[in-house]
Amino acid sequence: MGLVFEEFYRSIPKAGEEVCGDNVEIIKKDNKTIIVLSDGLGSGIKANILSTLTSKIASGLLDKELPLEEILSTILATLPVCEVRGIAYATLAFLIIDQNQQLRLIEIDSPSAFLFRDNQVKKLEYQEFELEGKKIKEANFKFQRQDQLFLVSDGVTHAGIGGLLNFGLGWKGAAGEIERTVNKNQKDLKDSINNLVKIFNTYYGDQAGDDFTIIGMKYRKKRKLNIWSGPPLKKADDKHLAQKINNAEGKKVISGGTTAQIASRELDKELEPGLKYYDKDIPPTSKMKGFDLLTEGLLTLNKVLSLLKKYKPGQIPVAGKDGASRFTRLLLESDSVQFFVGRAVNESHQSLNLPINLGIRSQIISQIAEQLRRIKKEVKIEWF
Amino acid sequence: MPKNTLKICIGTPCHLMGASELLELINELDQNLRDKIELKTSHCIDDCCEQAPVAEFNGRIYQDLNPEKLYKIIRDNIR
Repeated sequence: MGLVFEEFYRSIPKAGEEVCGDNVEIIKKDNKTIIVLSDGLGSGIKANILSTLTSKIASGLLDKELPLEEILSTILATLPVCEVRGIAYATLAFLIIDQNQQLRLIEIDSPSAFLFRDNQVKKLEYQEFELEGKKIKEANFKFQRQDQLFLVSDGVTHAGIGGLLNFGLGWKGAAGEIERTVNKNQKDLKDSINNLVKIFNTYYGDQAGDDFTIIGMKYRKKRKLNIWSGPPLKKADDKHLAQKINNAEGKKVISGGTTAQIASRELDKELEPGLKYYDKDIPPTSKMKGFDLLTEGLLTLNKVLSLLKKYKPGQIPVAGKDGASRFTRLLLESDSVQFFVGRAVNESHQSLNLPINLGIRSQIISQIAEQLRRIKKEVKIEWF
Repeated sequence: MPKNTLKICIGTPCHLMGASELLELINELDQNLRDKIELKTSHCIDDCCEQAPVAEFNGRIYQDLNPEKLYKIIRDNIR
């Protein structure tokens, strides 16, 4: 079974600020992943613009695969320097990991990365060199199957200033918290990141004194998701499709009330329609043995599409118990997605005079597939 | 065991025409009335989607409902 590199991050703005002065850019390519973190000087909009500018320039250049020295000197030459304090307006850390698990990390003015290996957090071995008068730290190593790597902005190592601690947590303190948290649950990176954010926020007394960001990454096994939506054109295909999804490997989702009824009939399994509205706009989900999720069709799919459009790689998927949020989470947590799409026209929908872009299932699914491909998921669609 | 069965359709057309308000009504019923009803949902009742929202109370199908109409149906037909 193949492995995939997964990464999640959360950025928390300084208390009272609307936007975060840290920015993360993640680019997934077929053979590598590029992660860029930049922390703008100060906080608020100004810091946000500076860090966005820096990380966008860096990720754009890295995306074009220019030689690293050239990229670095371009960035260093373009990074504005504060006249008063004589330091760069934004810090920068970026890493590139290729399909041979070889990782190259460059840090300019940002806290050292945390490597979680053999149940302990370690500091990486860095080489240091100077370019354009700037001290640059570089680390190269082979990322192992059980490793986890964390990048943070200095809001994390300073956690506690003005709150619980006089001088902040420091690198060692942050390393201790990361070690403790990851050891509790090595499997779920999202969970670790969420817990770490809570911990660092607590050091600040829930009033973050600086923007802070934490990015975590690790390898995990590939996950597969199968989705059946819509009754097939030929009624004879009902049984065939039901058995196909029932026997498929990986998680299983059915989207559409009529589709669920067909599956229930053909597989002779009891369908249990739900009663609870978690979100007024999304009809309740149902239950059937052997299936991970059964949702309503069109409205849920439309909502899923709009959630996917807003998604930036590396973000932690939306919480929420309604059908669309759960469906979106399943999609984002999977690496290869197989759609079985029936194209029969649902007579009942014709009576509603729905707007055309809401009404055509095949179009919505094609758009969902497009969004999934944008974030480098493997998508296959079979039409029936 | 409740003596009455109410089934509310939550298919797309019924949802759009206000099925969630019907469910809400049931949750807001007087407790002694609510206790007499077993509530279920369905993905489609009798293919009468043009007359959404649809519900079935004690085996009889009612179409084109709203909370007031449903309340009246329950009050008049409860066993």
